[in-house]
Amino acid sequence: MITPTRLAWMLLAATAVAQAAPTAYRLDPDNTRVHFEVLHFGTSTSRGRFGGVAGSIQFDAAARRGEVSIEIDTASVSTGLAPFDSVLRRADMLAAQAHPKAWFVSRRFVFDGDRLVGVEGDFTLKGITRALVLRTGHFGCQPHPQRQRELCGGDFETELKASEFGLTYALPFTSDRVRLVIQVEATRD
Amino acid sequence: MHRIPVAAAFVLAAGLARADTYAVDPTHTFVHFEARHFGISTLRGRFDRKEGTIRFDRAAKTGRAEITIDLASVSTGVVALDDLLRSPDHFNVAAHPTASFVGERFGFDGDKVREVAGTLTLLGRTMPVTLAATNFNCYTNPLFKREVCGGDFEATIVRSQWGMTRGLDAGVPDRIRLLVQVEAVRQ
Repeated sequence: MITPTRLAWMLLAATAVAQAAPTAYRLDPDNTRVHFEVLHFGTSTSRGRFGGVAGSIQFDAAARRGEVSIEIDTASVSTGLAPFDSVLRRADMLAAQAHPKAWFVSRRFVFDGDRLVGVEGDFTLKGITRALVLRTGHFGCQPHPQRQRELCGGDFETELKASEFGLTYALPFTSDRVRLVIQVEATRD
Repeated sequence: MHRIPVAAAFVLAAGLARADTYAVDPTHTFVHFEARHFGISTLRGRFDRKEGTIRFDRAAKTGRAEITIDLASVSTGVVALDDLLRSPDHFNVAAHPTASFVGERFGFDGDKVREVAGTLTLLGRTMPVTLAATNFNCYTNPLFKREVCGGDFEATIVRSQWGMTRGLDAGVPDRIRLLVQVEAVRQ
């Protein structure tokens, strides 16, 4: 039986075959978040998030290629504690006024067979750029359940050192090692 | 017939008398939740307001934890989603403003807490939940000059057990992962 979902898949597959060129996707801001995690006094994990994330992705599953450009509003940092957020925005931490955006840019999507396993790129924070590899926890594409468009998304994670970006105020009470947990959803343009 | 319960009550009282009381530090205590969205990515949210008290006796390896979460403080970073979660379809905060966890059975691995088993009350229903520790430590905080104990705990709950069934038929998952950060200051 051809269910509506199945029909959508068939149409999607047909489109994918017809299209050799990379397809453009736009990040869905409601379903894209960057969380950070640091260990506090070697005891418990403090978390925060950046909600202001925008960007675009070019993805070609058949050719196993992709490009991504993401910008993050540094002032959107949110820990659930207003005084902490103010400290994080300060000039000696994220410097949200002088550096309102952080960027992640990649032209290298890493595949294992057909499976996307990582995204290698450059991360810029406070004007400092370092290589960063996002590991794929889960990734998939499917017809969007509500919009008549393809939806791609997944979970990624990586680690960086706060001190490499000049974020030293909270050291050594919080760990220098920062884990980033990234939710991404993007709909086809 | 009365002698055994009386003796037991004395033993219990002695046990509680030795336990130290710790106040939950709200700046290092958070509950985050995770739910798979459309089957492809993981949505994370948190609750910003909470309070609690922990009685803890490291030598006797006993404890009792009580943590209350203000459900209206749910925060996903998306206002419309927060409003939906507060609505009668989900947390129904007008009728049930708080969720509470009471942990009464502390499991230890050496002198570190390995798990805390207890109950979670949500939407007026009380069901068993066990929080498994992924980190546990006690240290002297240099600012308060007091002992702080805390750690990271995880549990995966099945929300329909508390009657939270909205969206199950549309693919919103029943299994929700909880990530709990706790630090508490010795009083």
